Amino acid sequence: ERGGNNSFTHEALTLKYKLDNQFELVFVVGFQKILTLTYVDKLIDDVHKEFRDKYRNEFQQKGTLGLLNGTFDFKDDFMRLLRDAEESSKVRAPTVMKTFEQSLKSQKTVKCMIETRGEKPKEKVKNKKNKGSKKEGTEAVAAPGKASAGDKQPSAAGDREELTKDEILQKNREEFFKRHMKAGEKSSKSPKPEAQKEKGKKPRVWDLGNSNAKVLDYSNSATNGSAEACPVEEFDPDTALGDRNREPGRLYDLEYESDDEAEEEKVIQNPSKPSAKKGGLGGMFGMLKGLVGSKSLTREDMDPVLEKMKDHLIAKNVAAEIAVQLCESVAKKLEGKVMGTFTTVTSTVKQALQEALVQILQPQRRVDVLRDVMDAQRHRRPYVVTFCGVNGVGKSTNLAKISFWLIENGFSVLIAACDTFRAGAVEQLRTHTRRLNALHPPESHGGRTMVQLYEKGYGKDAAGIAMEAISYARNQGFDVVLVDTAGRMQDNAPLMTALAKLIAVNAPDLVLFVGEALVGNEAVDQLVKFNKALADHSMAQTPRLIDGIVLTKFDTIDDKVGAAISMTYITSKPIVFVGTGQTYCDLRSLNAKAVVAALMKA
Amino acid sequence: KMTLFPQLLTGKYRDTQTSITDSSAVYRVSSDKSGNVTLIDLPGHESLRLQFLERFKAAARAVVFVVDSVAFQREVKDVAEFLYQVLVDSTVLKNAPALLIACNKQDVTMAKSAKLIQQQLEKELNTLRVTRSAAPTSLDGSATGGPAQLGKKGKDFDFSQLPMKVEFVECSARGSKGEEGDADFEGLEKWLAKIA
Repeated sequence: ERGGNNSFTHEALTLKYKLDNQFELVFVVGFQKILTLTYVDKLIDDVHKEFRDKYRNEFQQKGTLGLLNGTFDFKDDFMRLLRDAEESSKVRAPTVMKTFEQSLKSQKTVKCMIETRGEKPKEKVKNKKNKGSKKEGTEAVAAPGKASAGDKQPSAAGDREELTKDEILQKNREEFFKRHMKAGEKSSKSPKPEAQKEKGKKPRVWDLGNSNAKVLDYSNSATNGSAEACPVEEFDPDTALGDRNREPGRLYDLEYESDDEAEEEKVIQNPSKPSAKKGGLGGMFGMLKGLVGSKSLTREDMDPVLEKMKDHLIAKNVAAEIAVQLCESVAKKLEGKVMGTFTTVTSTVKQALQEALVQILQPQRRVDVLRDVMDAQRHRRPYVVTFCGVNGVGKSTNLAKISFWLIENGFSVLIAACDTFRAGAVEQLRTHTRRLNALHPPESHGGRTMVQLYEKGYGKDAAGIAMEAISYARNQGFDVVLVDTAGRMQDNAPLMTALAKLIAVNAPDLVLFVGEALVGNEAVDQLVKFNKALADHSMAQTPRLIDGIVLTKFDTIDDKVGAAISMTYITSKPIVFVGTGQTYCDLRSLNAKAVVAALMKA
Repeated sequence: KMTLFPQLLTGKYRDTQTSITDSSAVYRVSSDKSGNVTLIDLPGHESLRLQFLERFKAAARAVVFVVDSVAFQREVKDVAEFLYQVLVDSTVLKNAPALLIACNKQDVTMAKSAKLIQQQLEKELNTLRVTRSAAPTSLDGSATGGPAQLGKKGKDFDFSQLPMKVEFVECSARGSKGEEGDADFEGLEKWLAKIA
C-alpha cells in the first residue's frame, strides 16, 4: 500500500523499481547511492519493454508453469541495453546544451538575467566540483526559478563552465537583442506574460488597503464584553444519562447491502460522465469500450476517479498527505493492469483502495496483550505499559478502562501515577482505583487487592516514579504496571525529552500512543514527532518506538473514521484498543473491515 | 512454501524470493486415480498473509500449513497465532477442509519432529483461545475471536477436537542430498493423492 514511492535506499545501495501490473512483474535496479545516474529510469523502462515483448507468449499462455519452466536468457539483452543507456547519457550532453541555449535563455526576461549574473560564480564553483567527480551533474539544482526540465540541468552546468565571463556577457547581450527583434518568433508563451508583468508595475491594491481600520473592525459592539455572547445551551441531563445506559457493544450499524446498492448506482452514472467529458461520437464508443472488453488502465483513466476518492477520504477525516499518498500507491499498483470485462474504472479503483485500506488497518503483528502478560507472568516480572499522548486525549480514562479489563481477566494491576504536573491527576487515578476495587473486592480474588495506586505526589520526576513503581510491582508480585504520563504537545522539546527519557530508562514492554479519533491532519504531526523524539533520545541501537495506538473518543465521530487510517499509516503499528465512551465497559478492539466499510460509504 | 511448490509441480529445484502475490497451477497426482488438484501458493509475509488467506479461504478444499521445523522454537507464538486465525475463521469452519501441517526443513539437523511441533502447537493454541476470547469485543458487536470456541471447553486443546481432519507430516523441500537433490516429501504427495 505504500507503492507510491518507487525508490529505496539501504546503506550504500539505492534500489529503484518498476511494476508491470499486466503480467505481475517487478523490475528492480540497484546501484550505488553515491552515483547519480540519469539513465537509470530510462534503462529500467527499456528493460521492462524488451523483457515483456520477448517473453510475452510465455506469460500469456503458460501462466505459472511457464514461469517455472521457462528459461529466461536475458543476460545478453540486458548488457546491450545497459551499454546503450550509458552511451546515450554521455552523448546526450553536448547536443542538449544547444537546445538549452535556444529554449531557455530566450525565455528569460531581463529580470531573470540580472539575477543569474550574481549567481553564476556560485554555479561555477559547484560545477568545478562536479567536473572533478566525473558524474552527471544532477546536482545543478542551484539554478532556481528556471523552468527547464531535470535533464537539461546537467547541460546547463556544462554550458556555464565552458564560457568565460566576457563571453557570457556578450551572449546575454546578443540574446537580449535577439529577443527584442524576434518578438513573437519564439513560440513560448512564458516570456510574453512575464514581459507584460514587468512593464506594468502597478501598485498592489489590497482589498481594504486604503480604508482605515474602522472598516476592518468586525466585532459586534453590542455583544462585545458581555459574557453571554453566545446562547447558552440547555444542559439536558436525561440525554446525557440516556447515552450511558445504552447497550454496550452497539456502536453503529454498518449495512453492507446498502453500500453495494449505492455503488451500483455510481457504476451506472460514472460511465456517462467520461462520455460527457469527451463529447460526441468518440465519447459514446469510449463509454462502450469501457464497459465491454479488456482494456488496460492508464493514468488518465484513473485520475478523475482517484481525485474523487481522495476528496472523499479527506472528507472522512483522513489526513490530507496520507490520502494523497494512498491514491498515488493505488494508481501505481493499477497502472497498466488489464481490467476484466464489465468492470468499470471506478469499481476497480475502489476495490483496490479498499484492499489497501484493509491492509493498512490490519497490522503486521497483532498485539495480544493478554498473551504477553501471561508470558511476563511466567518470567515473574511485571508487564509494563506506558501511555503517552498530547493533552486531553483520554489517557487516564482509558487507562482505567484497560485496568478494568485486565482485572476481569484475573490480572492484578499497579497504576503508576507519573503525571506529576496536571492538577488532580493523582486524585483522578485514586478515585478510579477505589472504584475498581469496589467492583472487584479482594475477597473475590483470593485476598489480593487487584488494583493499587503508586504515587508520589506532584512535581517529582516522572521517570523516577516509574522506576520505583516497577520495582515495587516486582516485589509485590503485581502482574501489570500501567504508567500514566502527563499530556504534552509534540512541539514541546523539553517535555518530549522527558518522555523519551522515561521510556528509554524504564524499557516498558508496551508503549501505547493515545490519540483521539477527532484529530485530523494533526495526527500525522503528532505521531511523527513523538516517534522522532523517542528515537533521538534513546541510547540503544534499536530505540523503543510507539508499539501500538489507542484510539479514543470513537463514539464522538459518526462515520468519519479517517483518523484510524492516518495513525496506522504513519506508524505501521496496530490500533490495540478503541475507546468508545466514559464507562469502564467502553473498550473495544478494532474491526478493520467495518471501519473500511464506513470509510468507503458515500 | 515457494520451494515446495515448484518441486511438487516439476520436480526441479528453484531459487526463490519472497513473494508478494499468489501463484497457482494444476497438479497432476501421480497415482491411478489421476485426479487433478490446483495448488495455490500464498505469500507468507506478515503484512500479506491475512489478505491472501481472505481471498482464497472459501475456495480451499484442503489446506497445507507449512511450518519451518528449525525456527519453530523461536517462532512458535507467531505460527500458533496464524494457525489460530486460520482455524477460527468462520468460512474455514464451515467448509472444514482437510488440514495438513507440513513440518518442513527436516533435512537440517536441528529440525524438530512433527510430534513435538504438534504438542507445542496444541499448548500454544490452548492459551491463545483463552486470551483471544477474552479480548475486548469488536466495534460492531461481533467478538474478535469468533463465537466459535476452538475445540472443547474445559479440556485442553487437542487437534482431534477440530471438525476437520488434521494430519502432521514431515518433509523437506531440499532433500537430504543438499540443494540440488530430490526433495523428500512422499508423505505430502500421498496426502495430496488422498485429497484429489
